[in-house]
Amino acid sequence: MGVNPLDIIREYLPFFASGTLFTVGFSLAGIVFGTLLGLLVCFGKMINNKALSWPFICYITFFRGTPLYVQILIIHFGVVPAVFGQSNGILAGALALSLNEAAYIAEVFRAGIQSIDEGQTEAARSLGMSKLQAMRYIVLPQAVRRVLPPMGNEFISLIKDSSLIAAIAAPELTYWAQAMGAQYAIVWTPYLTISFIYLILTLTMSFLVNRLERRMATK
Amino acid sequence: MIKKLSVLSLLLAFVLIFTACSSGSGSGSSSKKAATKKVLRVVNDATYPPFESLDKGKMVGFDVDIMKALSKASGYKYKLVNVGWDPVFAELKSKTADMSISAISITADRAKTYDFSKPYFLSTNKILVAKSSTIKSAADLKGKTIAVQQGTTGQAAVEKIVGKNNPKVKKFKTINLAIMEMLNKGADAVVADNTVIEQYARNNPSKNLKVVEDKDAFEPEFYGIMYPKDSKLKPVFDKAINKLYSDGTYVKIYKKWFKVSPDLDTLKAQQ
Repeated sequence: MGVNPLDIIREYLPFFASGTLFTVGFSLAGIVFGTLLGLLVCFGKMINNKALSWPFICYITFFRGTPLYVQILIIHFGVVPAVFGQSNGILAGALALSLNEAAYIAEVFRAGIQSIDEGQTEAARSLGMSKLQAMRYIVLPQAVRRVLPPMGNEFISLIKDSSLIAAIAAPELTYWAQAMGAQYAIVWTPYLTISFIYLILTLTMSFLVNRLERRMATK
Repeated sequence: MIKKLSVLSLLLAFVLIFTACSSGSGSGSSSKKAATKKVLRVVNDATYPPFESLDKGKMVGFDVDIMKALSKASGYKYKLVNVGWDPVFAELKSKTADMSISAISITADRAKTYDFSKPYFLSTNKILVAKSSTIKSAADLKGKTIAVQQGTTGQAAVEKIVGKNNPKVKKFKTINLAIMEMLNKGADAVVADNTVIEQYARNNPSKNLKVVEDKDAFEPEFYGIMYPKDSKLKPVFDKAINKLYSDGTYVKIYKKWFKVSPDLDTLKAQQ
């Protein structure tokens, strides 16, 4: 090819920049809503009543057991148009990532909570704390510390998984790389460029999680 | 237990490496004996009815039939493989495939990187919209959201009107996803090759679609078989294409898929 890779990258720089913002946005949405919803699902699954916990178990089974790519297609072409009467790639992408992430976060949290020795709850209860208080003040603070590393892992895979949203033409990083590749019939330039950007994003994420871990450890 | 697992994963890694190596050497030896008539690897993107699509897992379409006829006329055996649109270009560029027949329009841009056969099909980009749409010409597309298949001449035609990488142009991997986006009101129009969207509108009357033509904005295009640069196959299949024109095979296949007669004179005039 007669084209200079640097020229093409320069040409696509604004698109990669806005694409990075979208990727970060999708990831943040997935992390925030996924964690909140995940906590809810986690408590739902731990209810000591089969009928009540069943929907949450189904939720986790579906979102962990089917490919995210397929979920994105279903949500974009099925769920969002059915609810809002119009498809919207950005909304569908954020929704799919959050719902998917929630299922994983729920399981991570459950593992964390169940790893805290039951004796602690019993001790808290014998001191007169209610079940809720024991969970809030004794179990959760310790569980959060334990689940931080696996949560960090989830967040990093979430950033990478957001690339699948390119399939529904939401203008994130991979979408623009594909556009660039298709326009110039090239492979290395677009995909190595976004690999580099993804690396920066995931490294930043693991750095942040590491710092948080250290801060919580010394507490 | 952990020991067992690690042995197992090591084994798995070896198997993977081994299969990767063996498939690599396999393709190497097949390209060496190109002198004897080898089985050609012909790639396409089988998501583009009526040219190529999967019908219960079987590849069918106009291009599929043309390829079969070309193989008969040229004496070359071939294997048609559905790889997807972007990989078609990647494979020909890296010469891992011998040719592609996949409704590919001949463009000056593509001709810089690839070789094309003589044209075998005449096509124009048209606009697919809802029956109630106010879009009456290509100029009306300005300010509207338009869905296209990524890397197609439809995309190029639209970007010529609304500007390159305009955020209102949504690029999808397949034409069907682009059409679905419009049906779900995520886009106001789809721009693509006329035969594809005309057939879609005809086959799905319940969707209330219409096709808008704009001869001034969208120039006629010709499809060609695409080869890697400097392919030796080009003259062979050019001859085969002309044979299909002259012995009536082309007209028969064309009528089978499009129900009308082809404009052979325009096609031949392009040669």
